[in-house]
Amino acid sequence: MPLSAETLRDLHRRMLRIRLFEEEAGRLSEAGRIPGALHLYVGEEAVAAGVAAHLGPGDQVTSTHRGHGHLVAVGGDFRQMFAELFGRATGYCRGKGGSMHIADMDLGMLGANGIVGGGPPIAVGAAFSNKYRKTQNVTACFFGDGASNEGSFHEAANMAGLYRLPLIFVCENNGFGEFTRQDRHQAIRDIADRAAGYGFPGIVVDGMDAVAVYEAAGEAIARARRGEGPTLLECKTYRFFDHVGVRGMGVVYRSDDEVRAWRERDPITLLERRLAELGILDEAGAAAVREAIQAEVREAVAFAEASPFPDPAALTEDVYAS
Amino acid sequence: MTAATAQRQLPTVMAINEALRQLMREDPNVFLAGEDVALYGSVFGFSRGLLDEFGPERVVDTPISEAALVGLGVGAAATGLRPIIDIMFMDFMGVAMDQLVNQAAKMRYMFGGKARLPLTIHTMAGAGLNLAAQHSQSLEAWFCHVPGLKVVMASGPYEAKGLLIAAVRDESPVIVINHKALLGLAGPVPEEMYEIPLGQAAVVRPGTNFTIIATGRMVHESLAAAEQLREHGIDAEVIDPRSLVPLDTETLVASLRKTHRALVVHEAVRFGGFGAEIAAQLQEAAFDHLDAPIGRVGAPFSPVPFSPALEAHYVPNADRIAGEVLRLLGRAA
Amino acid sequence: MPPGPIGVIANPASGKDIRRLVARAPVSADADKVAVLRRFFAGAAAAGARAICYLPGPHRLAEDALEGFAPPLQPVPLPVPFTGSALDTRNAAAACRDRGAAAVVVLGGDGTCRAAAAGWPGLPILPISTGTNNVFPLACEPTAAGAAAGLVAAGRVPIEAAAVRCPVITVEVEGEPPDLALVDAALVDGLFSGARAVWRPGELRAALVLRSDPAVTGLAAVGGMLGLAMPPAAALAFDFGEPGCAVRVPLAPGLIAPVDVRSYRPVPFGEAVEWRGPGILALDGERERRLLPGQRTRLVPSAAGPLLIEPRRALSCAARTGCFIEPLSGAPYAD
Repeated sequence: MPLSAETLRDLHRRMLRIRLFEEEAGRLSEAGRIPGALHLYVGEEAVAAGVAAHLGPGDQVTSTHRGHGHLVAVGGDFRQMFAELFGRATGYCRGKGGSMHIADMDLGMLGANGIVGGGPPIAVGAAFSNKYRKTQNVTACFFGDGASNEGSFHEAANMAGLYRLPLIFVCENNGFGEFTRQDRHQAIRDIADRAAGYGFPGIVVDGMDAVAVYEAAGEAIARARRGEGPTLLECKTYRFFDHVGVRGMGVVYRSDDEVRAWRERDPITLLERRLAELGILDEAGAAAVREAIQAEVREAVAFAEASPFPDPAALTEDVYAS
Repeated sequence: MTAATAQRQLPTVMAINEALRQLMREDPNVFLAGEDVALYGSVFGFSRGLLDEFGPERVVDTPISEAALVGLGVGAAATGLRPIIDIMFMDFMGVAMDQLVNQAAKMRYMFGGKARLPLTIHTMAGAGLNLAAQHSQSLEAWFCHVPGLKVVMASGPYEAKGLLIAAVRDESPVIVINHKALLGLAGPVPEEMYEIPLGQAAVVRPGTNFTIIATGRMVHESLAAAEQLREHGIDAEVIDPRSLVPLDTETLVASLRKTHRALVVHEAVRFGGFGAEIAAQLQEAAFDHLDAPIGRVGAPFSPVPFSPALEAHYVPNADRIAGEVLRLLGRAA
Repeated sequence: MPPGPIGVIANPASGKDIRRLVARAPVSADADKVAVLRRFFAGAAAAGARAICYLPGPHRLAEDALEGFAPPLQPVPLPVPFTGSALDTRNAAAACRDRGAAAVVVLGGDGTCRAAAAGWPGLPILPISTGTNNVFPLACEPTAAGAAAGLVAAGRVPIEAAAVRCPVITVEVEGEPPDLALVDAALVDGLFSGARAVWRPGELRAALVLRSDPAVTGLAAVGGMLGLAMPPAAALAFDFGEPGCAVRVPLAPGLIAPVDVRSYRPVPFGEAVEWRGPGILALDGERERRLLPGQRTRLVPSAAGPLLIEPRRALSCAARTGCFIEPLSGAPYAD
């Protein structure tokens, strides 16, 4: 299937939506206007966008602590997202979840997750449910190189392989588990190698190349929809910012040169350059997309800041279903 | 065990089996998953025959992977199914704590009420079979401390069936705890489906001048203790809360107002046990009615021992319960 | 070629691409590659190799495999910064040339060998297949390959006796740096390199191939499946598309697909084939470079490719001189 210009513009837009949302969230966090901790997705946009472009109604996503990107990629609403980051009653979670638990059940986004390795078992359940209900739906389970060391990942991978579940494990290998470099947290470099232990294919793809991710995810998801079982898709990517917050450079755990080298391969710049070359999206066109998203960001932030905080009476609501 | 229609006797293991069968017939979204629950019919035998009736899609043998097993339930419940997840021994919940405590319990709240999690975790607790420290514990207090989970404990076949049906039909995660030493215990069980509403205690033995609140297997030891106490002129009321979260504090307090004395009995370790919570709530609600400190009987602060000689001392029994009642009354046993 | 160090280039990315999904290609995990290298080093050490110049990297393939082999092997990391791309292989080959490597062992498939040859055209290469399409690499037990490389590196077997010169396609892209291919070059439809591999037959437009073999995977099988023998001192050029003769070709391991062959013709060494964009230029099975609309590329086959070290040749030559017979006095193969 050759890529249509429409698909390429869609990939670009998804990535840029993530980037601009995250950059604004980072600014607001640094300015002290957003409370709590933010784990920003900047640098990794090609992964969420390339996978989400293949997902549709009824499909699910399980996410990570770095979850905004996944929600934006599947179509998350900026207003409710910012309102949630601001802890307002109009937020996705009515101010009870915040950045680390942002979710949209209607979009099948089963929540960012504060626990590293919390998502894979839940993804197994969602994928089991897809199969049980005899749907063609798939579950995309995003996780990081750090989570690939959690027992829960291995249990989930084994179960998914055993039941041939419609599930793709998308490893966002950004080279660091929090602040610990991969070579200090696992003896292997390609997490895709682990798939063989669970009886399904694992492949490595350039996570800074949206089209590469799109192609690979498309094949993996099609395979899952055909009932051929899970795939482990390892995307080599990089976190431009720190594990938490913005900074990212001038830090002890990695060199600025390394950051600069990865930023040279900024997935959005790479795609924009190629789209311009192809005449699919010129500079003015890209600027227009950017401006439209930025306007959406501004409007959403204004909405969030104008929104009320949750009423104290809501404190003990929704602990249980009523 | 009050239903007049309950003439038929069933052992607990068959009551669980019947509840599972009826629940799965009632709702195609109900499925059972766990270690050895399908082909083997569970190591305790409660799921025998279910594979034949419902097939491998709905009665699912899983790898020995408790975290993924509970996650299977969380993800399936969040996407429209009504899973029953069996954790073979309650002790194994340690392996699945993140999924239970951080995922299942909190999902609805964290997502602002937008998640629905009709998830039942069924498990076996309790000592008495010489299975030693990792297959004998009563860990209900752990889960009672986590908002978002409901916790029920069955004391016999009638309760096992009624609580399981109520749990599965509930829209929140419920942990259903059976006691492995009670599986053979028979009692009247109605054939039709019935619920024991979560949060409704049962007065198992009405009495006038002492309240014994007991859970699980300790209900039976407390009933035996009550018989012993009769010889001492004590007419003990025995109450089985059945549901710890939500807790029917009202029934407990009403009894205390009547008897003015209470003892809480559980098989779990006494220190930090759920009995402490009950005692605290009773004194908060009815301090003025108390004629004696509220007592607690539980296991000593040690792991469950293996040797029958030690285990017999570990698990509270009727003698110890009766003795504690007499002590609280200032009378020698 | 005088004796010298053995260059070791193990591509961690080989055997891990999308062809594990779209075809049935085998996985080559890092652990497998380390095991291959350890067998290679065992052979090389016994045959008298000493210095090992290897491509370092975070995957630590050569580093881990060398553990326990020094001495007699002396590990020398090549000064190649890690990028995680084919550039590393290319730079490592150039660094091997700078150090006067007598033999360069390359772990990967056709794509990896191509990258090495791009860094050092004419290099003395000993390819061991850990890739997906393995037309260029030889099927050979790494122990024997190591012994062959060791014999060449120690000067016990002259390179002329151990190796044969391979053909090559030089690729000139208008306004851009040149490139090359060792097995095949193809023009495919599309706008992106994407997941890189070539597996969709409908996208093939044209190819120039140096091999014609029905028993391999990839474009070299097209001529083979048509029963074409390679003309002497020439490549074969194919035009693809309908209407054509549908040839069933194993494009990747486990993937047999109909390729519409419209025409083919021999292209004598030294003559050029010219293609124009738009499209993607795929070299040795990997979508490598994009061609802009109207952008021209010239492909010229020639005989001046790498020196391919064939283990059987090297070992037979050594055997004839009694190399493997244990001397009475002590250590075998001592200098």
